[in-house]
Amino acid sequence: MYKYLSYVWLALLLFVAQVFLLDNISIAMWLRPMLFPLIVLLLPMELRTVWVLFVALGVGLAMDLAVGGSGLYTASLLPLAMIRSTLLYATTGRYVEHSDQTALLPRLAMRQLMLYVAVAMLLHHALFFFLETLSLASLSTLLLRIFASALLSTLIALPVTRLFIAKIAVK
Amino acid sequence: MQRLIEFIKRIYLVLLFLLMEGVALWYYATATPYNEAKILSRTTAVGGFFSGMVTDVGHFFSLPDENRMLTERIAVLEQTLQRERELHGIDVLDSAQVAALNMDNIHYRYYPSRVTSMTTNRQRNFVVLDKGAEDDIKPNMGVITPDRKLVGYIISCSRHYSVVLPILNTEFNIGGRLADNRSACSVHWLGDSPHYVEAFDLSTYANPAVGMAVEASSERLPDGVIIGHIESFEHNAAKTAYSARLKLATDLSSLDNVLIVENTHYGEIEELLKTTEKQRQK
Repeated sequence: MYKYLSYVWLALLLFVAQVFLLDNISIAMWLRPMLFPLIVLLLPMELRTVWVLFVALGVGLAMDLAVGGSGLYTASLLPLAMIRSTLLYATTGRYVEHSDQTALLPRLAMRQLMLYVAVAMLLHHALFFFLETLSLASLSTLLLRIFASALLSTLIALPVTRLFIAKIAVK
Repeated sequence: MQRLIEFIKRIYLVLLFLLMEGVALWYYATATPYNEAKILSRTTAVGGFFSGMVTDVGHFFSLPDENRMLTERIAVLEQTLQRERELHGIDVLDSAQVAALNMDNIHYRYYPSRVTSMTTNRQRNFVVLDKGAEDDIKPNMGVITPDRKLVGYIISCSRHYSVVLPILNTEFNIGGRLADNRSACSVHWLGDSPHYVEAFDLSTYANPAVGMAVEASSERLPDGVIIGHIESFEHNAAKTAYSARLKLATDLSSLDNVLIVENTHYGEIEELLKTTEKQRQK
């Protein structure tokens, strides 16, 4: 149980940062960084998908309640929980063994890890912004929002991921 | 049975995911009327094709009734046209006179349309029509029956379909007025019976009476569109106004052919209202 304490702290930190800081920063209409998907992405890859799904459900619901998302945050986060093992394999070529006792993420090169985070962020943001607008009428604006926001989210996620993985590796 | 349990064990993760995602999407879709209408207009692009086939069969069996109604309508229009000709001293319009009628300046344009699908058993009902953006249909156009009874107004369009917010939706509000003395009121559906709506804030000097017609009073619609007839009325608690229960003029559950009405001045009115609002805020 103790080994999951770092993940709880990370989740709380990212949740507070998202709700009280990132959601209140108004840089441009098409720029909306989102860090909370990291809570799901950085969970131990060895953790069974069913638990990851429940964590994603909890995080999504908490976000929906905190910012009035009406299910939008949950609906966009659940698929990420479902596909993250496949995504890791597609971006890094590393296959997750649930019987593995050593954490997989700290063993990845930082470049591989960031590629995994960047692609996951892009997919999450694409689903989130599409569900939010529910329209392809302004496709160029939608694509700009997806790519610019995913890029900014990944840039902010870089130091957070680096610090967290270093902390996990030390343990 | 054993095999079924084994099979469910194998796919339980996918089932769990689909369940969670389905509930989240359902909640999101029904959280606001905007989301509901947007999703409805997207799904009708596929569903509309199949619903269209079913309604085509229904249309075939209702053709005698529709023909009778159209014939009656033509008769009324012919009478109106004849009266106009007599008023202006024109016997028959020749082709030059027809060409001289500038249709661009017309105040209201009418687009015939048919109902593809609809609900009347929910608190937030919607109607889907078989005309969309490709047919010049835009949000905020009014929708009425061919015999000028209120249906609702368009709230979103896809290429081939449009979604109507009908009077049987608890989010729907419209201004009304008594047909006899033009006293104003506001009309709203409380979500109880699909045959009745409520009229509020009717002046104490309006002299309402059972059976009196209530017309729609909206920039989206022309004059003379009937909402319903007064079934009963009473003073409010402070006795400052009347509230009335109206029997809807049209039965939405059997809605088939409709007219979409475009007020060609609607954009200008909206723009004027926005400008006035801005000036007032300054």
